[in-house]
Amino acid sequence: MRQPHAKNGNLKSLLGLIPATVVMLVFFVGALLLCIVQSLGYAPQYGINQFPTFQYYQAFLHDDGLWNSLGLTFYYAVVPTLIGAALSLFLSVAFAKAFKGRGFALFVYKIPLAVPYLVGVSIVILLFANGGLFARFFYAIGVISSPGDFPRFLQNAEGWGIMMVYLWKQVPFMTMMLYSNLLVLGREEEESALLLGASSLQIFFYVTLPRLMPALVGSTLIIFAFNFGSFEVPFILGAGYPNTLTVEAWRLFDDADYARRPEAMAIVTFVTFVSSLSILAYLVLYRRFERKRGRV
Amino acid sequence: MSKGTQSMNLLKKLISACLLNTAVLFPAYAADKDIDIFRSDFVSGKLSWSEVEKRAREEGTVNWFHWGGSEQLNSWIERVVVPKMADKGITLKTTRIAGTRDAVDLVLTELAAGRELGHGSVDAIWLNGDNFYTLSKQEALFGSFADKVPNSKYFEFDQDNPRAQLNLSDFGTPTQAREMPWSGEQYICYLDSKRLSRANAPKDFVELEIWLEKNPGRFTYVKPPHYIGNTFVQTALYSFNPSGQGYKEFQRPITSFTADEFTKLVQPGFEYLKRIEPHLLGGDTPFYPQNQSVNQSLYNNGEVDFACEFGLYLVHNNIKTGTFSETTETLAFPSSGMIKNKNFLAIPKNAPHPAAALVFTNVMSSLELQISKLKDIGYPLGADIWKLSGAEALAAKAAEPALHGVTADELGRLAVSDTNASLVKVIEKIWVDYIEKKSSLPFGEIVAKQIVSN
Repeated sequence: MRQPHAKNGNLKSLLGLIPATVVMLVFFVGALLLCIVQSLGYAPQYGINQFPTFQYYQAFLHDDGLWNSLGLTFYYAVVPTLIGAALSLFLSVAFAKAFKGRGFALFVYKIPLAVPYLVGVSIVILLFANGGLFARFFYAIGVISSPGDFPRFLQNAEGWGIMMVYLWKQVPFMTMMLYSNLLVLGREEEESALLLGASSLQIFFYVTLPRLMPALVGSTLIIFAFNFGSFEVPFILGAGYPNTLTVEAWRLFDDADYARRPEAMAIVTFVTFVSSLSILAYLVLYRRFERKRGRV
Repeated sequence: MSKGTQSMNLLKKLISACLLNTAVLFPAYAADKDIDIFRSDFVSGKLSWSEVEKRAREEGTVNWFHWGGSEQLNSWIERVVVPKMADKGITLKTTRIAGTRDAVDLVLTELAAGRELGHGSVDAIWLNGDNFYTLSKQEALFGSFADKVPNSKYFEFDQDNPRAQLNLSDFGTPTQAREMPWSGEQYICYLDSKRLSRANAPKDFVELEIWLEKNPGRFTYVKPPHYIGNTFVQTALYSFNPSGQGYKEFQRPITSFTADEFTKLVQPGFEYLKRIEPHLLGGDTPFYPQNQSVNQSLYNNGEVDFACEFGLYLVHNNIKTGTFSETTETLAFPSSGMIKNKNFLAIPKNAPHPAAALVFTNVMSSLELQISKLKDIGYPLGADIWKLSGAEALAAKAAEPALHGVTADELGRLAVSDTNASLVKVIEKIWVDYIEKKSSLPFGEIVAKQIVSN
């Protein structure tokens, strides 16, 4: 009785996947293929029909700005991922313990999850711009002589604003992933370690962290991939130049000269390729690490 | 019905929905004969205006795409233009866009998909400069109409009259009456007389450099390739033109220059911009605002003492809305020439309602709306004042908003033509390479590279 029923259920769940798969195929794989084809010189709507050519890849690979942009893209992606991971580890472990106001904290930390990135961008501008609330506050109490003297955090290559928005949105996300993992894993092993006389630091490094590793790798992977391909945050809060590869692609795409669009597509293809490669390398390293400690 | 067949049905429905969708997305439209005859008859002058108006009433709708960033403009359109069009039996549907490029893209995409006259979705676009250049280059325009609608009498289209230049040439692209002048603009600067007195304000680029050395960080300009930034750079290039001819050479298309000639023409201006860079806002890490509204907030926030953008009546309009302080004034900078141009209404080649679009451009260029626009929202006349009768000209003069600190004569005397659109593209790329990316190549090579890649 069970066997055929399960089979039917299997078929049903496969069919249930079709809508999502169709959407993925058309909008994601389709767009990616279109992008690759255009980057190779097939864009008759702009009067370009040289397929296949690598000249658009050569054009930007020879540009002096490429390494600068690539470096910044990695910088804006990796630094907030690392800082965010450290903060989220701390928060999730703290949340797993009992303390006063825990219920409230557990509610509050999730708020940014429901708020879009662009709202975060607006908040950062309202607070940290040179005409923002902090600048006016420090001017009012006489620390700076005009709001314009407030240090410039936004729209420059240092990218403080960009990373602030990423952290504001992503720390809650990673904390949620790690915290729910901690709840599932239970506290028995930590308690045994405590009974055996381990200090709280020892418990964290030898018991909690190793057990959280898969969740930590998973969440940092998602965050890194997102930050690497992110566009709107560096576009609004970054410098005009140098900026990330995605912004550079947008500049070319937005050029009055439509013939530059294939070059923009070449950059986007390159971004996809580099970020896939980075993720693959990360996963290979992680697997090797797991094998070394004998879990796989 | 078993669950399996139910799922199969769902699948079938999904597949047919997909097919239906593709059919909607890629219809095989061909231009209708009738509408093509209408176009060629109108362009060749065979149709009477009443026949155009009759056809426009049958079409019943016109889709106008315009930059929607100004609440004053949007509300003026709703209050004044929509009722006027309704009188003609036409519903005006406006699409407010953040950048005119969106409308141009839509037209080109639709044309690429084979949607010809009568089957597009854009009837009229408010544009000028490189957007018109793009449509013209891609042959995506309806045809010569602007000198054939009745209200063309308010505009100078006489090839032999030098004053017709602003109507005949849009950033150096010959308009060939394929767009109707709608409004004019001049590049101006504005200052707060409380912070910087008119007497102490620089009057030309040489004085600006001296002023910046004394007041480091108190000025910046919008970053090219934004058109506001491009125009500032062009003004500087005019001023340092080694031939002393100012804007003259910049009217020629890029194809008429060798790389060497062009390098000689623009090098002094670009070297000047490089020289003043460390004295601009931000100093060692210069800060160029992305657009005019960022520049305005720098000014309002007291980070810079004066700023420049297009807007003959900008100071008046912004004092009225409270955006600028009461003490803001217009500054006639630089005395070497302030760029003036017009903006237009163009009809794309695949307009769905071409007759209604023609009636729309005629209504927009009527003297009544031209004056109402000037008076209500401070958008300068697109019509040419010398083409008006004495009473009409007086009415137009009476509607002019205040200029705040400069006279119309002074601004008129300093007005110079905009740069040829094919040069603007090269100039903005040189700026990005030489100033923003700080390219290590010699200047001549940067120019040669950009001219070749163009």
